[in-house]
Amino acid sequence: MTVKIREKELPNVDFPGEESPERESPESGTFERAGFQAIGKSFPRVDGAAKVTGRAQFAADLHLPGMLFARVLRSRVPHAVLRSVETAEALAVPGVVAVYTAADIPGQNSVGIIVKDEPVLVGRGERIRRVGDPLALVVGESEEALETALLKIKVDYEPLPAVFSALEAMADYAPKVHGNSNIQSVTRIIRGDADSALAAARVVISRRYTTQMAEHAYLETEAGVAAIENGLLTIRVSTQNPHYDRREVARVLGTGQHRVRIVQAVTGGGFGGKLDVSVQCLLGLAAWKTGRPVKMVYPREESVIASPKRHPFIIDYTSAADGEGRLTAVKVRIIGDTGAYASYGPATLKRAAVHAAGPYEVPNVFIEAFCVYTNNPTAGAMRGFGVPQIAFAHESQMDLLAQALGLDPFEIRLRNCLKAGSVTATGQRLQAGVGIAETIRRAREKARELGMLER
Amino acid sequence: MKKRGVGVGCMWYGIGNTGAPNPAGAFLDFLEDGTVLVLTGCADIGQGSSTVLAQIAAEELGVPVEDVLVAAGDTGVSPDAGATSASRQTYISGNAVRLAARQAKQVLLAEAAQMLGAPAEDLETGEGRIRQKSTGKSVSIKEVLAGCRARGKLTLGSGWFNPLTTVLDGAGQGVPYATYSFATQVAEVEVDTETGKVRVLRIVAAHDVGRAVNPQAVEGQIEGGCAMGIGYALTEEVQVASGEIKNTNFSAYILPMSLDMPEIYSIIVEEPEPTGPFGAKGVGEPALIPTAAAVANAVADALGVRFYELPITLEKVVQAVSGPEK
Repeated sequence: MTVKIREKELPNVDFPGEESPERESPESGTFERAGFQAIGKSFPRVDGAAKVTGRAQFAADLHLPGMLFARVLRSRVPHAVLRSVETAEALAVPGVVAVYTAADIPGQNSVGIIVKDEPVLVGRGERIRRVGDPLALVVGESEEALETALLKIKVDYEPLPAVFSALEAMADYAPKVHGNSNIQSVTRIIRGDADSALAAARVVISRRYTTQMAEHAYLETEAGVAAIENGLLTIRVSTQNPHYDRREVARVLGTGQHRVRIVQAVTGGGFGGKLDVSVQCLLGLAAWKTGRPVKMVYPREESVIASPKRHPFIIDYTSAADGEGRLTAVKVRIIGDTGAYASYGPATLKRAAVHAAGPYEVPNVFIEAFCVYTNNPTAGAMRGFGVPQIAFAHESQMDLLAQALGLDPFEIRLRNCLKAGSVTATGQRLQAGVGIAETIRRAREKARELGMLER
Repeated sequence: MKKRGVGVGCMWYGIGNTGAPNPAGAFLDFLEDGTVLVLTGCADIGQGSSTVLAQIAAEELGVPVEDVLVAAGDTGVSPDAGATSASRQTYISGNAVRLAARQAKQVLLAEAAQMLGAPAEDLETGEGRIRQKSTGKSVSIKEVLAGCRARGKLTLGSGWFNPLTTVLDGAGQGVPYATYSFATQVAEVEVDTETGKVRVLRIVAAHDVGRAVNPQAVEGQIEGGCAMGIGYALTEEVQVASGEIKNTNFSAYILPMSLDMPEIYSIIVEEPEPTGPFGAKGVGEPALIPTAAAVANAVADALGVRFYELPITLEKVVQAVSGPEK
């Protein structure tokens, strides 16, 4: 097993000479250290110069001759049946070229990475499920014309009772967001016998943890430019997944994937928030229908309203340990509010469940994770996919156990952490590449060196 | 009064999608002047994948990194590389690019074997040349490429990689990921009990990323992750009332700024992953994951009062220290 450590050289910090990382971590012959010419070297970023000099062209910087602009009218209510969308007055605004509703979509009016449960535009007689659902697409010669036109569209809807709490949404009596149940998915991870282990444990700690909804806050908001180029619909867009975008745009337009080309524009951050489609299908529809280039850039407020968020979690966490502080069992229930649409919710809750025991060997686990629909803003992928939430819980639990047993926080983690040969909560035997113990030791050593651990 | 505390946060993170296929593909064209074009669907969203993939191709082919162009994220020309998510692109697209490079290299090695009169197995690439290991005889890659072209041979490669996983069964048992990254962060905070302000003073962040393809890029991810984690721990919260977001801009959604940043001590731990490209795993999300946990534990250490709800806002701190638990 090779463990190699490279530490950032920091000014004004003294490293004790006798504790050379090389001596602690002898090199094996498996991976050649010497001889690498490109790997392990801090080459400058290939996109660095263009970005720091401002030459990089983001989607909002792109201009095509004869280009139109597009904006979306969004729902102000969280749950309703859409009765009608009157567009005649908006169409009469000078500079407005077209106003599209769901009826104008040539293919399937649905998108979604895991479940196709989200409309591109809500149709007449269909349901609005959140504040921010798109109702109409306005296309025109200037942003100003669009601002005026958006105010002239008349929307009639019939309000429905809504649900804003994931716990309430799980009850039978709760208003249903989709189908007959608000529980979108359930993940269970069961290994050993958690209940018996809890009964036999020296220490048992049970707590409820809650986490908030969070925003990605990428510097660049959602943006793109679409045009028909040589018969091919070409969309230059800020995205994390151009090939997924192509699938969705082709399906929504009812055309072959070979007729759609997605070019990822220089992208100013994503953090998971640009995994779902945003402007792609709307831009595609507008360019497809008008035959002209079309540009769309979300203002910050719209970006915040329209994009998926980090899931708020409610986590009930019970940990059990023996007298030496070794974990004997965890029992965890996670409820994630995915809001109006699934987006990456099922994957987020599944990942949270798989990681719920933390980087520790726990022989007995009972973990349940529920992904729940509500009429809240949609939650989806955000850097960490549910693991930052669950890490807050399992790491608080480790400190509480350490406290109860009079153990040092580093020590209890070292006693429990995974190593090569360990079996995880899903029954996976880890073969190699398990560096958790080394990160604990190295972090403790550095913190000690810096005087952070002095009392 | 100002109180100091220190907290630890550990994490593990499975690289790639959970118990689901998530392949990535890559094409590679070794051009006749010795430069290289890599076509990949992998979207570089600012995290640096195009730089990392260029390094991987350069290493495999033995050419300078500057001679590799990565054309990324154009469905008109590049194969599907899946999402830039789940910290998967260095591991998965990295393998795809390495395999594509290897395929193009086979053509080159066969040609060089003829030119040098040596068996292909006895050849290695590096520093722009192909060398016979046993004799030291060598020929420049450009000459070999010219030889290939003279015979009408193109030096193309394609590769794809899908991590070995299984679908989880009804009891959640199986192999959800082919490999995991690990991390430990230690946060030091100072809490002002009068204002409730939590200031993060220092973070030690030790991350096992497998082989660090580009150490500075890894450190960049760690520092950015810590920033995001501090916001998640202390100030960031989308406020929703009756389904409507109340704070839709950054005057009311409070992000940490550069002045809120602590000194961050990044430690790169390299526990090479045998199935990774040159041993690499990933760091994009792991960078952020333990930060809020470490900060929360540090606040508990400082105050002797633990918070079970994020974010740990000024108001919550003031209420907790002035409450009956004081």
